[in-house]
Amino acid sequence: MKIALFSDVHANLPALEAFFKDVEQRKPDAIYCLGDLVGYNIWPNEVINEVRKRGIPTIAGNYDFGIGRSSDDCGCAYKTDTEKANGAVSISFTNSIVNDEERRYLRTLPAHIKVEFQLNNDKLNLLLVHGSPRKINEYLFEDREEKSMLRIMADADADIMCFGHTHKPYHRILPTAPEENQHRHAVNIGSIGKPKDGDPRGGYVILHINDNSSIHDKDSIQVEFVRFEYDVEKAAKAVEDSPLPDAYAESLRKGV
Amino acid sequence: MTIAIFSDIHANLPALTAFFKDIDQRKPDAIYCLGDLVGYNVWPNEVIREIRHRGIATIAGNHDEKVKKISAGDTSGKNYAYSLIGEDERNYLRTLPAHLRITFQLNNDQLTLLLVHGSPRSIDEYLFEETNEADLKAILKAADADILCFGHTHKPYLRTVAINNDGHTQYAHAINTGSVGKPKDGDPRGSYILLHINENSSVQDKESVQAEIIRFTYDVEAAAKAVEDSPLPDEFADMLRKAY
Repeated sequence: MKIALFSDVHANLPALEAFFKDVEQRKPDAIYCLGDLVGYNIWPNEVINEVRKRGIPTIAGNYDFGIGRSSDDCGCAYKTDTEKANGAVSISFTNSIVNDEERRYLRTLPAHIKVEFQLNNDKLNLLLVHGSPRKINEYLFEDREEKSMLRIMADADADIMCFGHTHKPYHRILPTAPEENQHRHAVNIGSIGKPKDGDPRGGYVILHINDNSSIHDKDSIQVEFVRFEYDVEKAAKAVEDSPLPDAYAESLRKGV
Repeated sequence: MTIAIFSDIHANLPALTAFFKDIDQRKPDAIYCLGDLVGYNVWPNEVIREIRHRGIATIAGNHDEKVKKISAGDTSGKNYAYSLIGEDERNYLRTLPAHLRITFQLNNDQLTLLLVHGSPRSIDEYLFEETNEADLKAILKAADADILCFGHTHKPYLRTVAINNDGHTQYAHAINTGSVGKPKDGDPRGSYILLHINENSSVQDKESVQAEIIRFTYDVEAAAKAVEDSPLPDEFADMLRKAY
C-alpha cells in the first residue's frame, strides 16, 4: 500500500492546491498530514478548510499548537533578533486572521498517530509526529547522532518514524541489531509550503509498504520523495502584499 | 473536532454509497475505517476502490485477512464473495495495518483513541455490549486505551466505564461502530459513529468525550437482490432485509 505523508503547509494555499493535484494522480491508499497548517502566509483558514474538507487525519504542529491556544509563542527556534522580530509579526498576524471555528480545529488536533502493522505475525509500527515523539518542536536534523536517533525511536516504540518540522527531507536507515540485519527508518517528509533545502518546490513523501515489509529487511520499506512545482510567485507576492515581513517571500523564492 | 468511524461494509456498495452521501453532509474532520470491506456480497472491488480513492485510513478486519487463506479459484457457497476480489485489491487488503493509535495531548495530559477491528488482542474477538465490566476494563488497560473503537459484532453501542486510578476516578469509553453494510441489531439501516473531541476532553471528565451512533437508510433491496442473483446463499439476502 502507498501512504502519502505531507507536512508544514504554513498557510500556503497555492502550494497546497498543487500538492492535491499532484497526489491525486499518484493515487495513494491513505493520506496523513503532520501539521503546521498555519503561519508565515495569508491563507491559514483556507488551508485548514481544504484539509478538513477531505477528512485527512492530521496531527498538530507547533504553530498549530500556538494558534489553537491564541498564544504569541509558536515554539519556533529563531536565532537572530531579525528572525525573532519577523516571527512576532507572523504569529500576531496569524492570530488576527484565524477564525474561531478554524482555531477550535487546531486546538483539538491530536499529537501523534501510530499505525500498527502486523504483516507476518510480526509487528511494524509507523509513528507519525510533527517534531519528535518527545516534543512537538524538537528539530530532528539529518546530522543527529545515530545513537540519539535510535534512542528516541526505541523509547517511542517506532520502527518507522515520519516527521516534519525542519522543512528538509531525508531518509535514514538505522541499524539496531546489525548481526540480525534489523533496522529502523527515520523519515523527514519535508515541507509542502515552505521548503528550506534550497529547492523551492513543495516536497512530500510516499511510503510503500508491501506484505513482506519488516524490520528484518531494510529494502522492504521504500520511501519516495516527491517534489512538485507550484506558483511560488503567487505565494511570495501574497506575503509582500500583506503585513508579513518581506523576508518570508524571499525564503519561498529561494527555498531557504 | 468530529471524527467519523465506520466499519463492516461487507462488499455492500449501495450501503457504502449511502454512507458517503450521509457523511459528506455532516462534514467530519477526519474519517477512519475499521475494516471488513469484503465478504457476503458482490461488490468487494468497488467497495475497496471507493475507500482507496478517498484515501481513507483503514485497518484490516478478519474478512479482509481471508484473502491470505481462501484461494481465488474457490467459488463455492459463501467463498464466492472472496473469489471476486481482484489481484490489486488483494494486495491492498494484505497490507492493511492492524491498529491505529491516536494520541491527544490537549491540556498537558494524554487521551488515547485506539481503533481496532475486533479487540486489541485479537482481530476476531467479539466485544459485545454485555462483556463483563472487569474484563472490559482489563482489555482497555492492557491496550492503554482511553477510548476504544471497534466493530466486528455489527451491533453498535456506547459504553463508559469508571476506572479507579490511585484513588482518582477516570473514565474510559468502549464504542462499537456497528456495521455500514450488514447490521445485526434488528435495524436494517447502516450504522456508524461520530466521535466529538473538544478542547476539554479528558479522562477526568466523563461528559467531555461524546459519541453518537448515526443510522442511515440505503437501498437494502438492491443489496439483497444482488445476493439472490449471485451464487451466494440466499440467507445473506434475508439477513440484510431483517438485520440479523
